[in-house]
Amino acid sequence: MAEITAFAPAIAVLPFVSFLVALFAGKYLPKKGALAGILAMGGSLVLSLLMLYTVATGHAHQSTLYTWVGGEAVPYELTFGILLDQLSTLMLVIVSLISFLVHVFSLGYMNDEDEGGLPRYYAELGLFSASMLGFVFADNLLMAFMFFELVGLCSYLLIGFWFREAGPPSAAKKAFLVTRFGDYFFLVGVVAVFATFGTAAFGGPGVEESFPHLAELALDGEASVNTFGFAPRTWFTIVGLLVLGGVMGKSAQFPFHTWLPDAMEGPTPVSALIHAATMVAAGVYLVARMYGFYALSPTALAVIAFVGGFTALFAATMGVVKREIKQVLAYSTISQYGYIMLALGGGGYVAGVFHLTTHAVFKALLFLGAGSVIIAMHHNENMWDMGGLKEEMPVTYYAFLSGSLALAGIVPFSGFWSKDEVLFETLIHGLGDSPLLLGAYAMGLLAVFFTGFYTFRMVLLTFHGEPRSDTARDPHGVRWKVKGPLAVLGALAAVAGVINLAPVAELTGAHIDFLHSWLFHGPEGLNGEHYEELLEGVAGYHAAYPLGETLTMLASAAVSLGLALAGAGLAVALYRGPEPVEHTDKLGALKTVLFNNYYQDEYQVWLAEGLTARVARAADTVDVSIVDGVVNFVSSLSLFTGDRLRRVQTGIVSNYAALLTLGLTLLLVAFGVMQGWFL
Amino acid sequence: MSNPWIAIGALTLVSIIIPVSMVVVSALLRPSVPEQGKTAVYESGEVPTGDTRIRFNIQYYMVALLFVVFDIETVLIFPWTVIYRDGVQQFGMAQTLVPMLVFIGVLVVGLAWAWRNGAVQWVKSTRARDTAGSTE
Amino acid sequence: MITPEWAAAAPTLVLGVTALVLFAFDSIDPESSNNPVLAGIAVVGSLAAMGVSVAYLVAGVGDPAVELYGGQLVVDGMALFFQVIFTSVTALVALASYDYLEDMRHQAEYYILLLLAATGMSLMAAAGSLAVGFVALELASLPSYGLVAFLKQNRGSAEAGLKYFLIGALSSAVFAYGISLVYAVSGSLLIDAVAGSVRNAGQPGVLGVGVLMVLGGFAFKTASVPFHFWAPEAYEGAPAPISAFLSSASKAAGFALAFRVMTVAFPIEGVVGAVDWVLAVQVLAVVTMTLGNFAAATQENVKRMLAYSSVGHAGYVLIGLAALTGTGDGGLVLGAGMIHLLVYGFMNTGAFLFIALAEYWGVGRTFADYNGLARRAPLACVAMTVFMFSLAGLPVGGGFVSKYYLFAGAVNAGVWWLALVGAVNSALSLFYYSRVVKAMWIEEPAEGVDVSSYPSTLYAAVITAAVVTVVLLPALGLFSGFAFDAAAAVLF
Repeated sequence: MAEITAFAPAIAVLPFVSFLVALFAGKYLPKKGALAGILAMGGSLVLSLLMLYTVATGHAHQSTLYTWVGGEAVPYELTFGILLDQLSTLMLVIVSLISFLVHVFSLGYMNDEDEGGLPRYYAELGLFSASMLGFVFADNLLMAFMFFELVGLCSYLLIGFWFREAGPPSAAKKAFLVTRFGDYFFLVGVVAVFATFGTAAFGGPGVEESFPHLAELALDGEASVNTFGFAPRTWFTIVGLLVLGGVMGKSAQFPFHTWLPDAMEGPTPVSALIHAATMVAAGVYLVARMYGFYALSPTALAVIAFVGGFTALFAATMGVVKREIKQVLAYSTISQYGYIMLALGGGGYVAGVFHLTTHAVFKALLFLGAGSVIIAMHHNENMWDMGGLKEEMPVTYYAFLSGSLALAGIVPFSGFWSKDEVLFETLIHGLGDSPLLLGAYAMGLLAVFFTGFYTFRMVLLTFHGEPRSDTARDPHGVRWKVKGPLAVLGALAAVAGVINLAPVAELTGAHIDFLHSWLFHGPEGLNGEHYEELLEGVAGYHAAYPLGETLTMLASAAVSLGLALAGAGLAVALYRGPEPVEHTDKLGALKTVLFNNYYQDEYQVWLAEGLTARVARAADTVDVSIVDGVVNFVSSLSLFTGDRLRRVQTGIVSNYAALLTLGLTLLLVAFGVMQGWFL
Repeated sequence: MSNPWIAIGALTLVSIIIPVSMVVVSALLRPSVPEQGKTAVYESGEVPTGDTRIRFNIQYYMVALLFVVFDIETVLIFPWTVIYRDGVQQFGMAQTLVPMLVFIGVLVVGLAWAWRNGAVQWVKSTRARDTAGSTE
Repeated sequence: MITPEWAAAAPTLVLGVTALVLFAFDSIDPESSNNPVLAGIAVVGSLAAMGVSVAYLVAGVGDPAVELYGGQLVVDGMALFFQVIFTSVTALVALASYDYLEDMRHQAEYYILLLLAATGMSLMAAAGSLAVGFVALELASLPSYGLVAFLKQNRGSAEAGLKYFLIGALSSAVFAYGISLVYAVSGSLLIDAVAGSVRNAGQPGVLGVGVLMVLGGFAFKTASVPFHFWAPEAYEGAPAPISAFLSSASKAAGFALAFRVMTVAFPIEGVVGAVDWVLAVQVLAVVTMTLGNFAAATQENVKRMLAYSSVGHAGYVLIGLAALTGTGDGGLVLGAGMIHLLVYGFMNTGAFLFIALAEYWGVGRTFADYNGLARRAPLACVAMTVFMFSLAGLPVGGGFVSKYYLFAGAVNAGVWWLALVGAVNSALSLFYYSRVVKAMWIEEPAEGVDVSSYPSTLYAAVITAAVVTVVLLPALGLFSGFAFDAAAAVLF
């Protein structure tokens, strides 16, 4: 049975092959490469499920595929390898599933709409999936980094897919540059990990030296690593924060979130893929992947939790006033990833992964639903031009509603269970000796209210009331290629929560918190149990239940559900009826601030233009006047000398003979004097 | 022991100074009377005709070159004939005769080529042809 | 070893016999310009000679060295290695000339001179005495003068031929005088015997002048400063295939003789008291590299640029001698010089043959005339790009590896500054080489140039040279062993 893992690389290779096929032969294929992509992703999905099963039967697996730097002379090895454990196989299934559905949906969104450049589209989609899958099963930090960068590149290509228009190329550039900024820190972090531990392996069965494990031993004084003169804990915090730079860039956490709303310029299926399963998920997945390392540093955890909580609230408030449906979804993505970060920082490893899973499902659903609406609205994304679409497109409506309920966190949809667990975990750890977490928790809790509000505002404006434009009155129909994925995801969004019904398990005593037990039974050093020990023992996280365990949990659930319902209720109250009013106008100046995203873009633009550009200009001046001056001087000197030398070549042969004789004589005299021939 | 190069250096110096000083002194003393006859080429008292740069017929060179080739061939063959008998006794016929045959063979190939390409065919220059044509 | 012993000289003999066959053919039919047969004989002859020398090299005929005629000829690994270079360049040039000479007169004479020159070069590589070396050098030079002036009606060609001849005569005189001085000191012309008697010879001044003058003779043949003046003119005026032949094969021949004479006859530890010729070569190497590259950078004419770059490359190869300081691995650096000449034989020949192609098309001579050529003849331009980058030392062709060997050898011998000067010059050379590439690929095509025909053999020669240049990048490992062994055998 263990041999099946030999096929694991194929999970990433299949989409890569589809990339090649679409790139070179896409023009000649009937669906311009879509079918190749769908087949490849189907294959990857089946293989991922197989791997999941293999891991479930207790065959977690790690193997090194290729060593590209290694041997006796170098102090460390750089390798490519795969690590299949509970976390990575789960993620593989999510990514391949979403990607598969996005490919199918693209048939409806791209092919049926007669978009140009389809082979390029499917090729990039294939490469995107391949890189993400490669990132997920990477067994060391360096390989992860390389695929991480590939993911960034592909998202750049896809966001800028319609590169002839004004917006997309600029958005693509922004996404690329902002995430790249974070990745600088990541790269430094990778180097720091190598320099410190001599290995960047995540661990896994059969891996003796993984860097989280070495870090753990170093803290106990059982291993010595190079910490560059810092105390081990301080140094590990620094390294962790460096890597976190990359995470925050990719997962669009404050203050690197600005690229994500702009990334809506890309085709909608791409947005679904970016938000649900690939690009943005890559960041938080990395934190989960090396959780054993972060768990050693309470400071890093607190930073993660705070950034997450703040981003959750911050983005949710901005989502409240947006007009375009995809903009709302974009801010909701930022906000939801904030929750995942909050969970991971707050000691809720399982909760974080759980929310990552459910979010992948319902956010893909919402984006594909939005895509369906956009098709229907002839690519008009303004919600104020919509309305009343419920009657025209019931499948989309119900699927979208299911996703929205999950997003808002209404019981019993999947989002409720995961978000509740996120908040609960943070709360209990905050109450137990880590009061800082309570602040993060408060922000997360408050964000629940806003989430409920903007979600239902979006649903109501889009689907309810009277149609507010001609296109809304007579929308464009959508076909099975669109409805199919929506139906699948709609059902999943409703029920995906069952994989981890922690509160129900607590109440009934039945063991139905499957995800919990799943993640707790990973390979040594990579499982939830180990992380919990680390959190307890090293980071000093303790759970505290002021009202008793069950009651605390119920109270927490009740509070978050209540807030979500309140937000949703407010939205319903405000935007109900056939002709909703733009209530956000009443916010006055606050709306302007919110609408302008707290002037985040402005200050970053100022940073880029006012500060960086000025520094750059100063540097440029130095460069132009001094460095270039020297360089130019050297080159003009060369050319001048060359010119002089050219003139020696007069073209008169007697001159040549004279110079030749002169040169020889010079040589003879010089050597004669030097060697003393004349003495 | 003084350095013998000093004597050589002194000799060089003197041999440069004497002619230069003679030219300079005479240039200072003599009257300057430019005249055409002084600048004319001296041809044993004859009145010079034409330019100093005359183009000779290339054929002279051709014949001269062929002559040199066969002259040197003769120079090589003479000693060979003198030692031929001893050489045959000592090294055998092949070692003694064959190299010279090869040598002559190569020359024959060259001569044949030159002959065929008109090296020994007397070609009149165009001017010579023109004057010959006008007299007829 | 080989029996009979004289068969070791087979590469030279094959070339000479091919020349005689051409003589015979032309004697039978002097008026016709039967192009395919003439070119065919020349190509087959030089390929046969190449085959023989490669076979000898692989079979190890030169190990131990075969001495013929009382040491007048020495056939060893180095001689065979250089013969491979000469014969392959000759074959390429003969092949390319078929199209280049189309409808010209005196074609037979052209091929005859080409093969006679090749014979002379082959003899230079195997010369075991200074006298043979001198005669062989003249045998290689005299046909070259004629070849440069082959385009009789073209003033540039005739002028270049005359200049080449005059400078050549002067240099030969210097060389012969140098030989006579060496003979005066050592009492022998055999280079082995010279080596024995120059150690602690009585008249250091006479020996020193002699050695430097001999070195001057080599500098002429290899187009090194200050004997390089003929090179730009001759290469520019000559028919382009002949420029290729001279700048590759003829230069290599000069180095073949120089390597043998300088290392065997004047071992540096024996003559350092009389003349530190390694220092002289170091000076020449630096000056040659720098002057060649700097002058090339300011040229507007592509052929002339290549001519100067060829001077620059002579400077690189001089490192092979200049780094024989006694420290480090002499065989490595001398072998590196040989390898560079091999690679250079292909890439430089190819570059000049591309010029021949351009001349065939009637494309002008300056960089600007090459604008947009890639759109009309992409294949040839790819080949030219390979040559240019390989000449500059980028890792697209063997030029990268051979330069690397040279510089590594120089560093190894403790003369790191030579490697540094070489590297700086390489960087500068990238500037002017890339100008050609830029003109061909990036600039807009000029009006009025019509690439109507694609001469097959010229193309074949260019492409072959390009393929070999590229293949030599990975395959150099196979050849380098021969070169290093041969160099080490000569040195010790």
